Amino acid sequence: MSIFTDPKLGLIPGPFHKRLEEQNRAQNWYDWAGYAAPGVLDSVEFEYFALRNQASLFDISPMHKYRLTGPDTTTMLNRLVTRDIRKIGVSRVGYAIWCDEEGMVIDDGTLFHLGDNDWRLCCQEQMLTWLLDAAWGFDVSVVDETHSIAGLSLQGPTSYAVLEAAGLDVSQLKPFDLAHVDHDLMISRTGFTGDLGYELWCDWDEAEALWDRIWTGGAHQGLRAIGYEALNLARIEAGFLTAGVDFQPVHATERLHRGQTPFELGLGRLVDFNKGHFNGRRELLSKRETPRSLLMRFDVEGFKPSEGSLIYNRRKKEVGHITSGIWSPTAKRNIALAHVRMPDAGRSSGLKAEIYTLQEGKWDTRMARLTPVTKAFFAPPRARATPPAHT
Amino acid sequence: MSQFDAIVIGGGVNGLVAGTLLSRRGKNVCIIEKSSRFGGMASYSVDGGPTLAHSLYNLSPRVLSDIGIDPQHPVLSGKPVSTVSLSEDGRHIVFKNEGIFWSEGAKHPESDAWTDLTQQLITYGGLLRQLAEAPPPGGQKAILSRGGLNELLRLAKLGIGLKKLGKSEMRRFLQVILSNVHDIVIDDLPEGPVAGMLAADAIWGSATGPRSPGTVFNLIYRLGHGGNITQPAGGMSALTDLMVEAAQKAGCVLMPETEVSRIVLHDDTVSGVATNNGRTLTAPIVLSNLAPRPTSRMTGPSAFDIEAMRRVRIIRARGTAAKVNLRLKDDATLPGLPSELAHERLIYAPSVEYVEAAFNPVKYRQMSKAPVIEAFKRQTADGANWLSTIVQYAPSDIEGSWTETAKEQLAQITVETLSRALPGLGDQISGIQVITPDQIESATGAPGGHWHHAEMSLDQLLTLRPANGMARYSMGPKGLFQCGAATHPGGDVMGLAGRNAALAALEAQA
Repeated sequence: MSIFTDPKLGLIPGPFHKRLEEQNRAQNWYDWAGYAAPGVLDSVEFEYFALRNQASLFDISPMHKYRLTGPDTTTMLNRLVTRDIRKIGVSRVGYAIWCDEEGMVIDDGTLFHLGDNDWRLCCQEQMLTWLLDAAWGFDVSVVDETHSIAGLSLQGPTSYAVLEAAGLDVSQLKPFDLAHVDHDLMISRTGFTGDLGYELWCDWDEAEALWDRIWTGGAHQGLRAIGYEALNLARIEAGFLTAGVDFQPVHATERLHRGQTPFELGLGRLVDFNKGHFNGRRELLSKRETPRSLLMRFDVEGFKPSEGSLIYNRRKKEVGHITSGIWSPTAKRNIALAHVRMPDAGRSSGLKAEIYTLQEGKWDTRMARLTPVTKAFFAPPRARATPPAHT
Repeated sequence: MSQFDAIVIGGGVNGLVAGTLLSRRGKNVCIIEKSSRFGGMASYSVDGGPTLAHSLYNLSPRVLSDIGIDPQHPVLSGKPVSTVSLSEDGRHIVFKNEGIFWSEGAKHPESDAWTDLTQQLITYGGLLRQLAEAPPPGGQKAILSRGGLNELLRLAKLGIGLKKLGKSEMRRFLQVILSNVHDIVIDDLPEGPVAGMLAADAIWGSATGPRSPGTVFNLIYRLGHGGNITQPAGGMSALTDLMVEAAQKAGCVLMPETEVSRIVLHDDTVSGVATNNGRTLTAPIVLSNLAPRPTSRMTGPSAFDIEAMRRVRIIRARGTAAKVNLRLKDDATLPGLPSELAHERLIYAPSVEYVEAAFNPVKYRQMSKAPVIEAFKRQTADGANWLSTIVQYAPSDIEGSWTETAKEQLAQITVETLSRALPGLGDQISGIQVITPDQIESATGAPGGHWHHAEMSLDQLLTLRPANGMARYSMGPKGLFQCGAATHPGGDVMGLAGRNAALAALEAQA
């Protein structure tokens, strides 16, 4: 489902645009769902290290947000997503994926349990028509809040201190908790960085006031506004997937068999076969044991980023490719997410990535050994401590 | 332990056939019917008037033998009726097996052309019948399994049958099968009542006109069992009574006046049904003779994938045929019609263009002001004389709904239209019943009052019937099957949908 915006419109300013513009020395805007979003504001290095060592602010307003309410909402959502959302308590947030009838992943996202039969779904892809289809036959209302709710992601070890300095008490919030603080401001302890962090949600027209409040609070905590490139480094370190990069949202594919099952993406833990029927369940039951490929995490030999490289097995047969690959400044390792076809994904020894390098006008290739890793590349304990530390 | 091996929801023709067949194969079966009478649309009538269906042309002999009814049974021994195309000038045209004749006896000049065309379509119908007598092709069976080989064999037979037609006939078959009836008929016949009769026979019950694509298929479908039209002795209800008797003989438990409120599921598997009177009946197999949409309402949408529900809710079923029963005075005759033709099948369709023009208002949710009509004069059990008519087109979703005024207007249009060929008919009428498609829907549950539950159009046939992914009679949860007219090969008091569904259920269990 590609997002079409009228080219005559150009990129649309989001709710924090004025504030981002003030910070934007790099003038590096990119198109995120039609909005002008910063790729880099200053320099990737500054922004990344602010995220990991101090605090960072990232505008997530272009995410698609849908509010689902009505007596059947929980039932309707439980038929939509693969996990059992009855286990997500009120004021909790859950990560979820949903599949088509073939069991192929349509998208992933976070479900905010705001109240009894009151949920917000937040995801990368446009999902309104699919949600309306999914809601047919249920007493559920679906409202697209994409353009009325602003979102701000505050991430990094001092993010708790920033909120405290801004007069917002979130000491009780455990990871994946959410709370309504002040009027019209919701804060959830969630994020896309694997670090301590919060996401702040408010009405579109209150966005600038919120930004200013946080910005003032962060004056002595090293707070810095960041763009997507820095965030992308952090999410790869955390092992998180990006739609369209690490998996292909099946509704956006045109070629056959480009979709992937949750099992192929290593998300089998999010599939609950015991909760009753959900979309794609019958197909997933039969596809559970027969993945065609696996999404894997690798330590890559050397230090050259491996993104886009093809992967070869011992017999020099091409068996996959790297979807995301970076030098991780914090883990001090060359890391990658990759798709590897079966059966080589099962054996996974003797795999090598063919990395292309360009050094001062000279192209070269090097074969880098790949070592499978099961855990996240970077998962600091501070991300889970409650109450969180100030630094 | 379940109370039954299988439960059938809906005691219409297909439900009775499915239940009886399963019972005869050793299953303990219960058939649940909402109304007090079994037989569904075939036997539905108002205040003892004529039934909705009033003739047979597609009842499958294979179905009869599968449910233990002798095809020679006295009820079924009625001799084929001829079709009479009514004409304003009093020179009616009689269509018989041996050709076409003027009502005064002379042979009609278009007789040979009509016979040739009809014979050709009957040949095609015979070929397609093998497809109707089995689930649609393209199941997921392994090609080397027994079922897979059978399927392959059936398709091979169709292929060989096509080959046997000869090269030019085969080409013609492939050319006409997807075409519209207007083009095909006008190629071989001059515009007029003979062409009009074929055009009318291609559109009964459907929301199409002679120029709509796929109408040749409908005509072939109607001729699938040779094209003979009969009336059961004692009327349609005698036939449905015979089926009920067959069901009882086979050991089915019949539950009239019981409405199913819910299909009970457990772990994606059917476990039975709950009825409106608070009872729960258990069985590992449930066959629903209802259309897919009301069936899914009984399980709730959670039991199906989102895509499946989308397909179910966009199935087109817009009934366009109303039933208008004209009560005739005692000893009334049909004016302008020779008495020996009075008990034949009468149609009013003076030309292809007339049929097309009758269809036009339906596109805009209006009734035809000059409709196509099929009529039978018959006597009900109480000795009353009726002219039982099917009036095409009267859409289920008429603008402003079917008010009393609209119904009266339809009655008046029917009488006026017939009076053009039968002048003075109005004086013979002592009462009128109008049964509109919306009324048929509320009485029988058929969506839009459509007699096939789902339009018989090319996008809703064979592997796409009733919808993509549901063509093998199963529907989502294990043990849930559809056996109604919305499934392949459709309705028409044929019984094959019920039979095929029952066989599919047996196969799934094996």
